[in-house]
Amino acid sequence: MARPMGPVRLKKTSPLTLVLGGALCIFILYFLIGSSTPDFSASRKATAASHPLSPPTSPFRKSTSTGGKVKPPPVTRYNLNNVTITHNPLENRENILILTPMARFYQAYWDNLLKLTYSHELITLGFILPKNKEGNAATTELQKQIAKTQQYGPEKDRFKSIIILRQDFDPPLPSQDEGERHKMQNQKVRRAAMAKARNSLLFTTLGPSTSWVLWLDADIIETPPTLIQDLAFHDKPLIAPNCFQRYYNTEKKAMDERAYDFNNWQDSPTAQELASKMGYDDILLEGYADMATYRALMAYMYEEGADIHHEVPLDGVGGTALLVKADVHRDGAMFPAFAFYHLIETEGFAKMAKRLGWQAAGLPNYKVYHYNE
Amino acid sequence: MLPFTSSGSKVVPRHHVSGYSNGYPRAGNTFEISPHRFQPRGTTPSHRRRRRLLVRLGGIVAICALFGLFVWPRGSLFSLFSFGLLSSGDDFQLETVRYYDLSNVQGTARGWEREERILLCVPLRDAESHLPMFFSHLHNFTYPHHLIDLAFLVSDSKDRTLQVLVDNLEKIQADEDDVQHYGEISIIEKDFGQKVNQDVESRHGFAAQASRRKLMAQARNWLLSAALRPYHSWVYWRDVDVETAPFTILEDLMRHNKDVIVPNVWRPLPDWLGGEQPYDLNSWQESDTALALAETLDEDAVIVEGYAEYATWRPHLAYLRDPYGDPDMEMEIDGVGGVSILAKAGVFRSGVHFPAFSFEKHAETEGFGKMARRMQYSVVGLPHYTIWHLYEPSVDDIKHMEQMEQERLAHEQEEKEKAEKAKKLKESFGDATSQWEKDKTQMQDIAMKEKKNEALAGSKEQSDKPDHPAAEALAKAPAKAPAKAPGKAQREEMAEKAENGEKVEKKGRAQEAEGK
Repeated sequence: MARPMGPVRLKKTSPLTLVLGGALCIFILYFLIGSSTPDFSASRKATAASHPLSPPTSPFRKSTSTGGKVKPPPVTRYNLNNVTITHNPLENRENILILTPMARFYQAYWDNLLKLTYSHELITLGFILPKNKEGNAATTELQKQIAKTQQYGPEKDRFKSIIILRQDFDPPLPSQDEGERHKMQNQKVRRAAMAKARNSLLFTTLGPSTSWVLWLDADIIETPPTLIQDLAFHDKPLIAPNCFQRYYNTEKKAMDERAYDFNNWQDSPTAQELASKMGYDDILLEGYADMATYRALMAYMYEEGADIHHEVPLDGVGGTALLVKADVHRDGAMFPAFAFYHLIETEGFAKMAKRLGWQAAGLPNYKVYHYNE
Repeated sequence: MLPFTSSGSKVVPRHHVSGYSNGYPRAGNTFEISPHRFQPRGTTPSHRRRRRLLVRLGGIVAICALFGLFVWPRGSLFSLFSFGLLSSGDDFQLETVRYYDLSNVQGTARGWEREERILLCVPLRDAESHLPMFFSHLHNFTYPHHLIDLAFLVSDSKDRTLQVLVDNLEKIQADEDDVQHYGEISIIEKDFGQKVNQDVESRHGFAAQASRRKLMAQARNWLLSAALRPYHSWVYWRDVDVETAPFTILEDLMRHNKDVIVPNVWRPLPDWLGGEQPYDLNSWQESDTALALAETLDEDAVIVEGYAEYATWRPHLAYLRDPYGDPDMEMEIDGVGGVSILAKAGVFRSGVHFPAFSFEKHAETEGFGKMARRMQYSVVGLPHYTIWHLYEPSVDDIKHMEQMEQERLAHEQEEKEKAEKAKKLKESFGDATSQWEKDKTQMQDIAMKEKKNEALAGSKEQSDKPDHPAAEALAKAPAKAPAKAPGKAQREEMAEKAENGEKVEKKGRAQEAEGK
C-alpha cells in the first residue's frame, strides 16, 4: 500500500539517559524488595505457626494472598510429654522464653541481649510495659531496636519471636526513680503491681513449647554471653545468679562494684519469728534497717576468685535475673501480688514453688550487672 | 500508508492535489481547505523515538530483573512482579513481632458485641464416652464460634479420647458452614502418671480427695498456661460431662460482668432416688466453723466439701436453688466448683490459678475461688440458674439398680409365665367354646331335623328329652379341664380368665345331671 519502512535513522539516545534509566530501575527494585520483611531460613519457616491465632512463642505466616476465603485455624496438637528440660538445652534445641518487665529502655540491655550466644532461633522475648508516658517512650525505643534486629539484622541475630504487651493497669507510683522506688512504705504496692505485671506477661506468653523461662530485668546491662547455658547447666528448677552493680567509688577514685539484689536469701529463725507476729496482709522486706531479718543474703556470699559454679540453696529469690524451668510455672507457681507467707512477688514465688515441691538455688559467684542510675 | 498527512478524505491521492481524481484540474474558484501537499519527513517522528527509547529501557529492566533473580531470592521478586496476586500457597512471610495492649481485653458485659475472645478450657481423661454429648453442646453455643478458642488437655487416657476429639474437631473446622468454625484449637497432651482412678467411687472417696484435687489442679494449670493468649478477654472452664446447659450460657454468665461466676450445678436422678439432686458442692460461702476448722489442720491438709469428715456448715450454692427463683440472682461465694466457671482472663493473668498445694487449706477450684477473693476479685454464684451434670450411678446405686433390675426381670418373668399360662388356658377353653359352638349348631341341626321328622312323620310319640345328643357332646368338655389342673399361682388368674370355661363346666355338669 505504501512505502515499506526503510532503515529510518534514529537520533542516537544519549548513553546518559540509559544509565540514568537503569540506575532508576535498580533503585526502585531495591526499595520495593528491600521494604518487604526479610527472608528466614527453612528451619525457621518450618516451625512457624500457620495462623495468627497461635502460641506467641513462635512466629506465624503472614498471609500474602489477598483473595480467597480465610481458612479457619487448624486443630493443633501439642505433646508436652516431648518438651524436654535438660542441663544441655542447646543440644536438645530447647526453647527459651526471656521475660522482661520494662519501664525504661536501656540500649545496653538490648546490646547485651544480642550478645547472648544461645541460638537466637530458640529464644523468644517477652516484654511488658506500662501505659504511661515513660512506658510509651520505652516502647518506641524498644520497637526501633526490634525492627533493626528483626528486619535488617543478620539472621543469626534475629530472635524466634518477640511479644510486646502493654499493661492493663496503671503503675502505682508516678516515678520510677530509684529513691522513690525503694522507699519502704511504697514497696508493697509497688511490688504487688510488679507481681501482676510479671504474671500477666508469663501466663499469656508461656505457650506449649517453652522449656525454660529466663526472667531478666530491663536494667540488667551486662551478663556473661553464655548466661543461659551456664545457668541451665545446673539443672535446677529455679536458679539465680548474683546481681551486682558497677559504680564510681569516690573513696578509691576508681570504678568499683557492689552487691545489688538483696532478694536472694536463705531464711532465718529471726525472720520466721517476725513473720509469725505479723498481720495477715503484712509482708517482710529485705534490705531495710528497721526490719532486721538476719537472713543469709546471697549478695554477701560472693568470694573473689572462687568457683563460679558454686551452688547454694535459696528460700527467697529476686527477679533481676532468674532461670526457671517452665514446668515450675506450669504447675502454677506465680508471683503472688498479695502476702503469701508474708512474702510478695519474687520472694513469694520462691515460697510457692517450694510448696509445689521445687527448690530454688543460687550461684553467689556468678555475676550479672545492674544499671547504675 | 499516510500517517502524517491528516485529511478529511483519504481517497484523495496526493499526486493530484490540485485536481479531481479523474485527472481534470480543479476549478480555480473551488473552495480549498485541505492542505493536500506532499512533505518529506525531515526527522524521525518524536513518538517513534519514544518507542525506541521504551524498548531499550525495557531491555535494561529485563537485564536488571535477570540480574536480580540471581542476587535476590526468588519469592520476593516474583511477588513484586505479580503484585502479590499470583503468590502460591507456600510463599509467605514470617511475622516475628506481636504487639498486644492488654487494656483492650478487659472483658465487658456484652462481649459478643465487642468481639471479645473466650478461651474454652476442657480437661479430659478417659472421656471418650462423654465426647459426643460435649460436641453437641459445642455445636449449640450461641456465642459467635469464631470468637471462642478451644483448649483441651488430654492426660493419662487409656481409651480413644484423643482420636475421637481430633476427628470431631477437624470435622467442625472443615464444616461448610462458616459460623461453625471455632478460633484457635489446641490439644495439649500431657501425662502426669496419675495413679488415681477416674471411676466414680474412687473419684469421690474421701481419702483420695486431697491428692486427687491437687493433681486435677496441676492439670488445669498446665492447660491454662499453655493456652492462654494475650488476646483473650474471658476464660470459660467446662467439664465434659455436663448433660444439659442453656445454649446461651456464655452470654448469660457474661452479662453479670463479674470476675468469676458459676451457675448452680445439679444432676438428674432416677425416680427411685428422688428425681434430682445438688451435684457441685464446691461452690460455697465461707463459714466461721470452717475457718476455725482450718486453723486446726496442718499446712498440707485440704478441706473438701460434702464429706462428713469435715463438717463446715457452709451455705452451699447448690442447696439454695429454687426452681422458680430468679435466674439472675447473684450470691457472693468463696469457693467455686469447676464444672462451669466463667472468669475474666485478667483474673488468670494476674496470677490467680488452681492451687496444686494447700492454699488456705483448699486446693483446685475451691482454692481458686479463695485466691481470687484474696486478690479482691468478685466471685459470685447464681443459685437459681442451673445446669445439669450427667448422672453416673455410684457403686451403691449400681448395686441397688442391679437388685432392682433383678426384681424387674423376675417380675417380667413372672408376667410372662402368667401370660403363657393364661394363653394355654384360653386355648384349651377356647377349644371348648368353639366345640360348644359346633355342638350347638349340630344340636340345632339335629333339633331341626327332628322337628322336620316330626313334622313330616307327624308326632306319634312326644319326645321327653330333645337335648339328649347335645348333652352327650357337652360332657366331653368338663372331662378335659381336670386333666390340666392349674398351678397354685395361677389359680386366681384362671378364675378370671377362664370364666367362660367355668360357666361351660357348670352348664355341662348341670346338663349332665339333667341327662342322668
